Amino acid sequence: MEDFENTLSEILEVDAVNPDDKLESFECWDSLTILSIIAIADSKYGVMLNANDVYIAQTIGGLKKIITDKRK
Amino acid sequence: MNFRFSNCRISGILTVLPSNELRFDDEMLNYNFSQAKSLKLKLTMGYDTHRIVDEGTCVSDLCLFGLNFLFANQYLKKEEIDALVLVTQSPDYFMPPTSNVIQGRLGLRSDIFCVDINQGCAGYVVGLFESFMLLKNDEIRKVILLNADVLSRKVSKKDRNSHPLIGDAASITIIEKTSEASDIFGNIKMDGSGYEVLMIPAGGFKIPSSPKTSEMHEDQAGNFRSLDNLVMKGDEVFNFIQREVPPMIENLLAYSDINRDNVDYFFMHQPNKFILNKLADKLLIPRERMPSNVVEKFGNASGVTIPTAISYNLGDSLKQNSYLTCLAGFGVGLTWGSLLIRLERLDFNNIIYF
Repeated sequence: MEDFENTLSEILEVDAVNPDDKLESFECWDSLTILSIIAIADSKYGVMLNANDVYIAQTIGGLKKIITDKRK
Repeated sequence: MNFRFSNCRISGILTVLPSNELRFDDEMLNYNFSQAKSLKLKLTMGYDTHRIVDEGTCVSDLCLFGLNFLFANQYLKKEEIDALVLVTQSPDYFMPPTSNVIQGRLGLRSDIFCVDINQGCAGYVVGLFESFMLLKNDEIRKVILLNADVLSRKVSKKDRNSHPLIGDAASITIIEKTSEASDIFGNIKMDGSGYEVLMIPAGGFKIPSSPKTSEMHEDQAGNFRSLDNLVMKGDEVFNFIQREVPPMIENLLAYSDINRDNVDYFFMHQPNKFILNKLADKLLIPRERMPSNVVEKFGNASGVTIPTAISYNLGDSLKQNSYLTCLAGFGVGLTWGSLLIRLERLDFNNIIYF
């Protein structure tokens, strides 16, 4: 999960992300971005997320926690 | 569950597409999203043009147009048709079956078996299974499989989730007995607990259409639709496909004892380019052997996308050549099924426009 922040900053089209950043605050945030996150969670981390998981996560840190928890 | 069929072949495929072509670039103004976001969607999903029927055009109209083309060009004779299998989710009426309507409008003989099947994204695979099973009967020699849908009429124009990709189309596949064909292998699974993932909530007997069901509501992502419209949970569809389709194809290859390198083409249902490319990567199949160009060109017409992909990508070359193909459909139901079948020397394989 070390490269999680880098991966997320690519998807979110910014230079860097912080754990407290609100997902909805990103300029590019929309349903396609959510789908990109779901796709990366599957292909890179082997985790099935749904859109609701992403809405519940709210922040970058929250998202990382959900993916980490699901990997266990 | 696995299937194995002998002594059947596909002898022709015709795809009927509407002449009316819409462009994503024109339509993105209807959506409640910035232009930049819509352009990104276009690039990722591979949206560009799609074809939908004019208001009032029905499944029977598209099918009749195609069948009359086959009669006029001597590809098919009315008196040869032993069975009409129509797979659709947008029938002309609740009752009677649209296959009977087509039989009547064409003046086909009464010594015939007509049946409607309510299936969508996996409708080509399901329709072929039914057709192969019918051919086991002595008196059925030729089955006409019709796949047709005009679901654009149920999709909200302000729904960026479904409208850019929807297409209308019909296809006619002729399936007949032969003593020469190699065996056909197939498998199918269903999960009805996911029935809400893709649906039209209102308009049936459970929730009849009313002024209330036609009220437009905005969803969490900013799309507008009513209960009369088609609704798709895109994230769940994506996960379902990534979870179920790769093992289904692996099982099919194992059951038929065929190495994936020997399969010339994988013709998958065409939800969008994004999903298909992810599938190709997961299955370690080169993208050029898994065409994904139907949505960008014509749109996703449910069970018609597989025959459209075959007609569009192989065209006349299927009249001379022989290809081992894997066909796979997945979606509404939820249903997912696949077939390994050799397609060779078809009498016709083309697209016509309604």
